[in-house]
Amino acid sequence: MTLLPSCREVQTQLTEYAEGTLPLPRRIGIWIHLFFCHVCAGFLRGLRALPGLAKRALAPPEAAPEEASRALAEIQTRLKRQQS
Amino acid sequence: MTEAPRTETELIQLAATGDSDAFGALVQPHLALFHNGIQRILGNTADTQDALQDALMSIHRDLPRFEGRSRFSSWGYKICLNAALMVRRSRVRLHDMERAEGLAIGPFDERGHHTEQDRTPEWQEEAQAHQLVERQEMRECLTRALDELPDSHRMVFVLKDLEEWETDDIARHLQLTPAAVRQRLHRSRTLLQARLRTFVLGGHP
Repeated sequence: MTLLPSCREVQTQLTEYAEGTLPLPRRIGIWIHLFFCHVCAGFLRGLRALPGLAKRALAPPEAAPEEASRALAEIQTRLKRQQS
Repeated sequence: MTEAPRTETELIQLAATGDSDAFGALVQPHLALFHNGIQRILGNTADTQDALQDALMSIHRDLPRFEGRSRFSSWGYKICLNAALMVRRSRVRLHDMERAEGLAIGPFDERGHHTEQDRTPEWQEEAQAHQLVERQEMRECLTRALDELPDSHRMVFVLKDLEEWETDDIARHLQLTPAAVRQRLHRSRTLLQARLRTFVLGGHP
């Protein structure tokens, strides 16, 4: 492992880099690499943007889907049976 | 004269005594949230339906113990996630194999550096990306991409990036080391990022 990692090495360690779990020399190496390599820096921006995009894209719809309403109706029927 | 709508607290009290209509009225406003949380973990499968039913039964059973320290929706949502995790633990994970590929997006030269730098697409500004997520296509693409992930990778991505759990908590729940969680998270993010190129990057899929 050299001080200045390659693009492939950087890309495989960016999540650990973002979580701060890498040894200091490797963090410095990646930081320097990202300063000079716009492709890896863009890749990191993509990784950082992904959770926000995914949260918005996969947010609950306004109305519950039919199968969810069916599940609730089934539970209500069971409860009614238990009551009677 | 029509009856005044009941408050959530009243509905909780009535539902706890077994009133099924009150239970329906209590849960209905949060049903989309509950279903969505389970579906994100288990995918669009029969398991989701089973887990939702289990969760609704647990919510009803535990209502007398609900102390109102958190909102009902948050409390119920946690029960739903636990139900999804329980179902996930019990099912056979045929597709949950380790994948060595997908860790990095090339092409790379023999020294491991990018080639064709000028042609590599750039992640667009977030403001643009926000508009893109409005599109139903984006939701469908992401759902498909999530479905294609190995099971444990999908779980890690959902719990970390969508539910915002701590890495150590995910590791404990999934019986993995924190390092393994980070590795799976990274693979998931990389694979998803590659799949979303058509939407978020200015390049080609």
